Amino acid sequence: MRVNGLQERLLSAHAADDRAGLVALYAQAADESPDRDAACFFLTHAYVFGLETDHPAVPAIHARLRAEGRI
Amino acid sequence: MAKDISAATLDAVRRPIETAHGLPNAHYVDPDIFELEKQAVLFASWAGLAVASDVPGIGDAKPIEFLGIPLLLVRDRSDRVRVFQNICRHRGMILVSSPRKIEGAIRCPYHSWCYATDGRLVSTPHVGGPGHNRHEAIVQDDLGLIEVRSHIWFDTVFVNIDGEAPPFEEVHADLIARWADFDQPMYHGGADSTFMLPVETNWKLAVENYCESYHLPWVHPGLNSYSRLEDHYNINERGKYSGQGTLVYQQLKGGDGTVFPDFPNIDQKFIDGGEYITLYPNVLMGVQRDQTFIIILEPRSLAHTHEHVHIYYATPGTDDALRRKNCAQWRGVFEEDVFVVEGMQKGRHAPGFDGGRFSPAMDGPTHCFHDWVAGKISDHLRCA
Repeated sequence: MRVNGLQERLLSAHAADDRAGLVALYAQAADESPDRDAACFFLTHAYVFGLETDHPAVPAIHARLRAEGRI
Repeated sequence: MAKDISAATLDAVRRPIETAHGLPNAHYVDPDIFELEKQAVLFASWAGLAVASDVPGIGDAKPIEFLGIPLLLVRDRSDRVRVFQNICRHRGMILVSSPRKIEGAIRCPYHSWCYATDGRLVSTPHVGGPGHNRHEAIVQDDLGLIEVRSHIWFDTVFVNIDGEAPPFEEVHADLIARWADFDQPMYHGGADSTFMLPVETNWKLAVENYCESYHLPWVHPGLNSYSRLEDHYNINERGKYSGQGTLVYQQLKGGDGTVFPDFPNIDQKFIDGGEYITLYPNVLMGVQRDQTFIIILEPRSLAHTHEHVHIYYATPGTDDALRRKNCAQWRGVFEEDVFVVEGMQKGRHAPGFDGGRFSPAMDGPTHCFHDWVAGKISDHLRCA
């Protein structure tokens, strides 16, 4: 993850228990990751918080993880 | 010690009421016998846990500890109320620690394994390594939440912890038939129609006091004006349930004469009177023309019980003031019983007490309950 404020925003979202925010931020972290493994790591987190909150992005995240053979 | 319970002791309880003794002191003051009764009586039968109205909306979840077991009451996405053991199948972490609505999945706060509200394990993040969410050794279909056998009747959620009891509808077929008139919608009165009474007593004494009408004129003198002792009858269904009924039920009225609406199409006997029965082991129930109530006895420990009271009506949206007045009246009646059940608990430390004797005319319902408890213990010890 690039140190461009994303990490701070993730920590803030965790501290605020902003789970919908975490979905978006972890998805962004995945998008900005330099390799597949790192991307799938962050995408997994986006997926979990999405499942917990019934987030509308879940089907798309699930499809990405499935395409990578990670789910 | 529990293992020292003799057949003669239990036989003395199960004799005809004229010569029977009640359960001896140890059943109220001995921690080992409390543990035995947990297994033999409370876990082996259909015990009242909660009311479905505790989780009124889809996704509502309420953690409940029942005799030390962490349970989770959930209303799933298909509107079905379920009971699970409140633990993750991974490392046994408590899943839900306070009542809340589950928006999507139940996420374990430890490693984030996720469960659907119907108990299915739906996600095992990083279980195959970082970013790898499957592992061949972890079969999700085999690792759903552990569901506890449950059944709902009169809005009450009953659980059979050991999973071995015959079906609820079979065990309680007679009572279900007896009160078939009330097999119709009933509406919890809401926040002003429920309360909890903590009492320093063994849960069985609350049952015993509820079962009989013998004490009414002494402990509830206010009832004498409209429901005299001679208006009551005993309900003794040995091995099944017991309680009492009244031939005279007087509806509560508001200042302008308002009453609660009746349940439709009920028999005349329920227009004139009411019935008050203990569904063994721990649910005290009452039915009347315009309201029903449920009291779930939660055995917190050997000599500490929480009485959870819930009042129901035939229609939603009853008169607010009348409903509050009704709840206050019931609270007053039930509070009048507190000194009795706490006094009997203290009395069980008197070494000379031999379980006591029963009035053959008046104590049948209490003896019926003792007989049932002794029978459950006998069955358990025979199988142990």
